[in-house]
Amino acid sequence: MNDSQPGFDNLMVGGEMHKLVKAPVTHKQLVKYSGASGDFNPIHTDPEVGRAAGTGLIAHGMLIMGFAGQAITDWLPKKYLRKFSVRFVGMARPGDVVTVTGKVKEKIRVPSQRILCEITAKNQKDEVLVTGVFEAEFPNE
Amino acid sequence: MAAKSMCGKEYEPFTWLVERGKMRELVQSIGDNNPIYLDRLSAKEAGYQDTPASSTYITLPGMWMKVIGRVAKDLNIKLHRMLHGEQNYEYFQEIYPGDVLTGRAKIVAVEGKSCKAGDMDIVRMQIAYTNQRNELALKVTSVLVERLD
Repeated sequence: MNDSQPGFDNLMVGGEMHKLVKAPVTHKQLVKYSGASGDFNPIHTDPEVGRAAGTGLIAHGMLIMGFAGQAITDWLPKKYLRKFSVRFVGMARPGDVVTVTGKVKEKIRVPSQRILCEITAKNQKDEVLVTGVFEAEFPNE
Repeated sequence: MAAKSMCGKEYEPFTWLVERGKMRELVQSIGDNNPIYLDRLSAKEAGYQDTPASSTYITLPGMWMKVIGRVAKDLNIKLHRMLHGEQNYEYFQEIYPGDVLTGRAKIVAVEGKSCKAGDMDIVRMQIAYTNQRNELALKVTSVLVERLD
């Protein structure tokens, strides 16, 4: 949580959102995320199933989207968020360190103050896991 | 092979009670320690009625109510061949503990295509959630990809 949330006027096209570097993904985290979300696909939690699939354990795509969501609402108030979309591009595994970055692509002033941003989650090898866009609407002051 | 005749199919509405403990469990598993999601007072100071649902919370009713499983079954998609291609949220109202959501799921599009990665069917499904005041709270569109090999 960052206390310095930017105002609409301080945001520039091309300006970057606060980068979020997550702690390494753990097997325990995948078990917890399965229990929380209700996604019990064993590819996320059972090492035997991961081995048989040839991938090893892979993180839920929605967990990585959750990291991206965390980065957004660390940067801007949750209540400003209007749209958030991602494409799942790559797989994260236990031990991976996920970094979320993003930047402002467009500023819209009328009929309401909005920004369109792009957002990307990558692993420690700079491979893209998730790429997406979000839109936030600022109150008219 | 996904059944293209299912395009446009709408499902019976389902209800979902938004529980504080489940919201906390989700943000804790993500490792998102933003106090607005965990502490009612911090949320109120930040201008919320209570701790709001985090941006990906709405994945819970879709999974726990087995909506995606039902769609996959109707479309004859083998779950082990299915990939989650995209997830798209539109937010209209904050969701708070104690809210009772009604979810209405439909299959928006089914298409088959061939590309470098092989043949695949692409299913676009949407769930629209209204709250207990019958306000549209959130729309989720998911793209599911079935590899045909």
